Order: sequence, then structure tokens, then C-alpha cells
Amino acid sequence: MLKREVAKRVFAKEFEACRELEKSTRSASEAADSKSPNLLISPLGLILNRVFIVGVLTELDSIGTQNEMWKARIVDPTGAFTVYAGQFQPDASIFFSTVQVPAFIALTGKARIYEPEPGSIFISVRAEEANVVDEEIRNRWVVDTAEQAVDRLEAFSDALASGYRGETLREYLLERGVSEELAEGISIAIEKERVPQVFAKQLRASIRQGLRTLNFEAEDTTGAKADQKEFVLELLREMSGGKGIDYAAFVDAAVSRGIPEEVVEEVVRSLLAGGQCYEPRIGIIRFVG
Amino acid sequence: MDEKIAPHLEELTRALGDIEKTGIRAEFDKLLAFRVPPEVAKESILRKFGGKRKILKVKDLSAALKNFEITGRILDIGEKAIRPQEGVKEGPSKLYTGVLADETGSVVFSSWKELPGSVGDVINIRNAYTRLWQNRIRLSIGEQSLVSKVSDSSLPQLSELSQSPAKKLIDVGAADFSIGAVACILQLSHREVLIRGKQSKVISGVLGDETARLPFTAWVELPGIDIGSIIRIEGAQVRMFRGMPSINILSSTKVSSVGPEEAEKLVFTFESVAKDPAPMKIEEIASRDSMFDIAAAGNVVSVRPGSGIISRCPECSRVVQKANCRVHGKVEGVRDMRIKAVLDDGTGAMSVMFPRGLAETIYGKTLEEAEQLMFSDISKDAVYEDLRRILTGRYLAVRGNSSKGEYGVSFVAESAWVPEDDLAVRVVELLHRLGPDDEDYVSEVSGGGINLA
Ligand SMILES: [Zn+2]
Repeated sequence: MLKREVAKRVFAKEFEACRELEKSTRSASEAADSKSPNLLISPLGLILNRVFIVGVLTELDSIGTQNEMWKARIVDPTGAFTVYAGQFQPDASIFFSTVQVPAFIALTGKARIYEPEPGSIFISVRAEEANVVDEEIRNRWVVDTAEQAVDRLEAFSDALASGYRGETLREYLLERGVSEELAEGISIAIEKERVPQVFAKQLRASIRQGLRTLNFEAEDTTGAKADQKEFVLELLREMSGGKGIDYAAFVDAAVSRGIPEEVVEEVVRSLLAGGQCYEPRIGIIRFVG
Repeated sequence: MDEKIAPHLEELTRALGDIEKTGIRAEFDKLLAFRVPPEVAKESILRKFGGKRKILKVKDLSAALKNFEITGRILDIGEKAIRPQEGVKEGPSKLYTGVLADETGSVVFSSWKELPGSVGDVINIRNAYTRLWQNRIRLSIGEQSLVSKVSDSSLPQLSELSQSPAKKLIDVGAADFSIGAVACILQLSHREVLIRGKQSKVISGVLGDETARLPFTAWVELPGIDIGSIIRIEGAQVRMFRGMPSINILSSTKVSSVGPEEAEKLVFTFESVAKDPAPMKIEEIASRDSMFDIAAAGNVVSVRPGSGIISRCPECSRVVQKANCRVHGKVEGVRDMRIKAVLDDGTGAMSVMFPRGLAETIYGKTLEEAEQLMFSDISKDAVYEDLRRILTGRYLAVRGNSSKGEYGVSFVAESAWVPEDDLAVRVVELLHRLGPDDEDYVSEVSGGGINLA
């Protein structure tokens, strides 16, 4: 058994824009190993093989001469994944034979690329394991995936703005705290695309729109609470500056502007839990970065 | 000098440094004496000693490194005479062992050859390698290694290096054998153990600073020190236990309380260190050999076979197959439940073990309920299938210890829960990072609206 490969979080829009990562661009030892997986690379430099997706199963067909293959469509806020499961994916096949459409499902699988003729490329997922989940898990997946995509978008814009290419760019990105794999991916992706910023712009718009479609239970039906939270966040950003701010003083400031204390607490707790804020000293809140 | 070989010597010097001192020149001459063409001799020397120099510091050492270069001051050296086994042709008969240090730490070394230096001298070693010996990283100097004495080194003096280096807890690892640290006592308990037939008092607990937590054991009394105390330790020993470093306070270790004035200047307090650990990226966990008492969160992407109801030997708790313990033979097994699952957060994946109490919580069924399912169903995998149906895809946060092995990261969970961070807040933050809508995009999708801009 080999070390388990991580399952990347990626939206359909970025996934379907992936292309094969040529073996020549990978390290010699890796290319020589025939067991190494088929890797794809996205226009933003995400290198992937296994993916984990959560979305709505909207279509399911059995295909092939003896109906021995399942073809499924899983929709996320930016587009759709095409998923296959055949006789060599028994776990996923059994799952598809029992699931009802539509449903929220979570699925792991391996990316597959098929190019019947030059210029026409089909990218799909070969399913490994799948399960029915609830809307809360789907929403959480969208937010996780958006966060990782935004991290990538920021690193990508940073790379473009730096003006560096190749090895220098890779070193620059590593210096900026970008992971080794993404630094490598970005420097390859930038070489590949003629106008690299176009896709980044489209994906930004797509994610923005996708996030706005999320429906968080009853609490946000009025939108009032979400507005209050946004206000608290902006206020904290404004007041905390580089040094951070005393928590009690911040609560007073927010309450004096008409925000309920429990909303302030909720926002701060969630920022601390999510790692966007931290406490450099007890009672002091500060934004990361 | 022979005109034919001069350029090759020059190239070798460029690639490998002072070739006279390190004996590379002698190797090269030896090849020439065997009528090897200079060109070929140069190539083979470059291959052997590595054209690309990999220079490491002590802190960079990990198990199973090869072919690197390191420079350090000898803190200690001794020799062990090794009697060759009978019938074996005479091999190396002396092993030199000691401690080598640079400004980043110190490491135990062993050498099959006599070193060109003694205590206090700085030596440079090329073609060194490391291995794990008694759970500890050891720098090995073999027949292939080249060792030279460095006379003008800027490394700190012996007296300075002899003090155990002050470390942040996260940097304590298998390469350390003696360290110093400033940390806060988070847990503390007294127990009595038998040591060589004598009842002895032992204190064990957990230390923390702003970077990490580590278990500690004190074999001496710690008067005036309790949970919440911030202490400075010097000359504590690092022991490895199940791949996890642990700090040993011995009679030779200096322990002192950090006064309130000095504590004020520290970047941590008892309260900040005692807080529950925030989830970290699995990628980061995977970059360390082991981590103590940390948290992570992700999706259960796979429930592994072997999860569910198992049977254990009543004598030794080993998992029993077909009522046979591999040590105690035929036994009446005791039923137990466990879950092994892969947790993946998109940056990394790790195998998490949930012992019975936690397995029951995340499964939502007790061992007895699972047993009923097992007996009522014809499929022998009923419980496993049920676990997969309930857990696959779910979000879980876990807290416990991690260690890295051949198959990646293993994590033993001590608690587990469903993460409850507020999605609405994260969305607001994300929209802020994404910036305002692009004008052209807005006009494109707004349909009926008229865009005057
Ligand atoms: Zn036994």
C-alpha cells in the first residue's frame, strides 16, 4: 500500500478546465514510475488526481451494452461534474444502484481525461466511494472549496503581478508561504495559458455568485443577521489595525452601533475557530496577515 | 602539475571544495594510477561525492538521509573497542561515538574511522548519512565519508554549544538528546513506580508553549511548581516513545520558575497555552514526524476495513482472529469496537483511529446495538456497511496525537466532534477577499438592468 493520496477540493468550473500534466514537466523519478497517477493541472495551477466533491445528483443513467456502467451528473454552484462507475468500482456502483435522484451526495473519485480527437477534451470523475449527505455538509463543502480556491486565486494573482517566471517564480512563491506543489503548478500553468488572467476572472465571478446562492437555514431568511455580521467583520477589520484590539472595547464599540452582543461574540468566535483571527495575548483580537 | 589533469582538478575543486584536505585528490590520483583516463576519473569522483553539495544543519537532520555535508564542533567523543566475531575477517574494530553540535542543535554521531579532531574542534563531514538508532537520529560517518578539520570556523565556542539549546517545543524531535525550554505546566500528576525494586515518586504531565505541547516526566521533585507555573528547564533529556518526543527532567536538569516580570515578556500565558488547540491543516501535520495533542478537521472520505466489532484477547488485548490469539492461543475473545477512517481536508489525508468510546459517539450506536445488528443480519459485513453509510462524507474534527510512518500519518483520536464554525461569517469573509463584482460581469448577468457606466 502506498501513502494515501489527498482528495482535492475543486469546483466543477475549475475541474472541467483542467488539462493533462505532461510527464516531462514532472520530476524524472516520478515520470519513470509507471504507477504514478495520471495528474491533471488546472488553469490556476492546481495539480490533482483524486477529488472529493459534494453536490446535487441531478441525473443518473445506466449505460453500456449490458447497462454495466453508471453515468451521473453532480451539480455544484459553478457547474457540473460527470461521474462514471463501472464494474471495477463496485462500491460506487452499488451506491448508484440504490440512490434516488435528486439527492445531496458526497463522492471521492479519480480524475479522467479523454481526448477522442485533438481539441475535444472530456474530463470526468471515476467514482470510488459515495454516500448520501445533507444540505449542511454540502454548504460546508462549498465554503471549504471556495476558501481553497480563493487561496489559489490570490497566489496566482500574486504570481502574475510578480513578473517572475519558471524557477524564480517557484522560489518566489515558496518564499511567500505557498505549498511546494502549488508553487510548481502555478509556474507550469502560467506558461501554458496565453492570457492567464481570463480564467481567474471568470472563476472569481462564478464563486462569488455561487456563495450568494447558499441558503443558510432559517437564520438568514431576512438577511438582517448576515448584514449585522458583515458589519461586525468590517468594524473589527477597521478597529483592530496591525496591533489588534481589546475584545471588551470592541464589543462595547459594536453594541453602541446597535449590534446585539451575542452576534458580536458569534462572529469573533467563528473567526477565531476559522483561523482568520487569533489572540496574540489574552483578550486581544487580531486579524491574521 | 600535469596540464592534462589541471582543468579536471579545477572543476573538482569548484564542485567539491578543498580536494587536497578532504582526500578527494588522493582518490583521484589513485584512479589515475590505475590508468583511468582523467575525464572518466573526474566523472566517477563527481558521481561518488555528489557534484551538487547538500549542506545541512543539525536541525535539518531526519532519519535515513544520505550523501550530505555537515559541519559541527565536537562536544564529546569516546571510543568503543569492538571485538571482531570469531571466524569473521577482521573488519573495523573501533567505533568512535560522541556528540556534534552547531548553532541549531546537537546530534549523537558514530564513526568507523578515527576523526581528525578532538573535543572542541570543528570538523566538516562529506558523504555523511543518518540512521535511526534506539528511536533517535544518529549521524553516521562511514568508510565513504570524508572528514576534515576546519581551523577557522565561525561556529559558537564550546562553552556556548555545551549548554543545551533553548528550543520551542515544536522543534523538539528525534535529533535532540538534551534541550532547554521555557514552557508552562498544563497537566501534572504524581505516581509511584517501581524502579529496580524501589518505590519511587514520578511526576508526569504536559508542557506547553505558543508552538506546541509535549508530555514530560520528572524523576525528581519539583517543589513549588504546579499547574499554571511557567518554568525554565535546562539540560532536560529528550526521550522518544512511540515516535513521540517526551521531555525527561532528571537530577542533572536545572528547573526554575519564571517570575511574573519575565513572564510578562513571553509571547504566551497559561491561559493562551491552555486553550483548546485550533484545527491545523493536515498538510502541516504531515510535514512533522509526530505531533502531540493537536486538532484537525476534515471529511471522512473512507471508512477502512477492520472497522466495527472486533474481538480482543482477555490476556493481552491483541486483536483475535478466529478465537486465536497469536501469543495466547485459543481464548474466549472480549468484544470491542473501533473505527479506522481516512480524514481528508483537501490539503492532506490521514488515517484516524477512534477507540470504542469515540466510535460509539460518532457512529451513534453502542457496542451492544452494533452486536444486535451483526446477529440479525445475514451479511458478516453488516456493521462495516452500516458504518460506511453513516460516516462516509461527514465532517469531523478530532483531537489527539499524530505520528508519521511508511503509510503516511496515523492519528489516534482522543476526542471527536462535528465542527461548528459559522458558515455565514466565512462567506462574508470570502466575499471580501474576492473583491467587488467586475463591472463587465455585472452588466453581463444583470439582464434587464441598464448599465450607464
Ligand atoms: Zn493474547
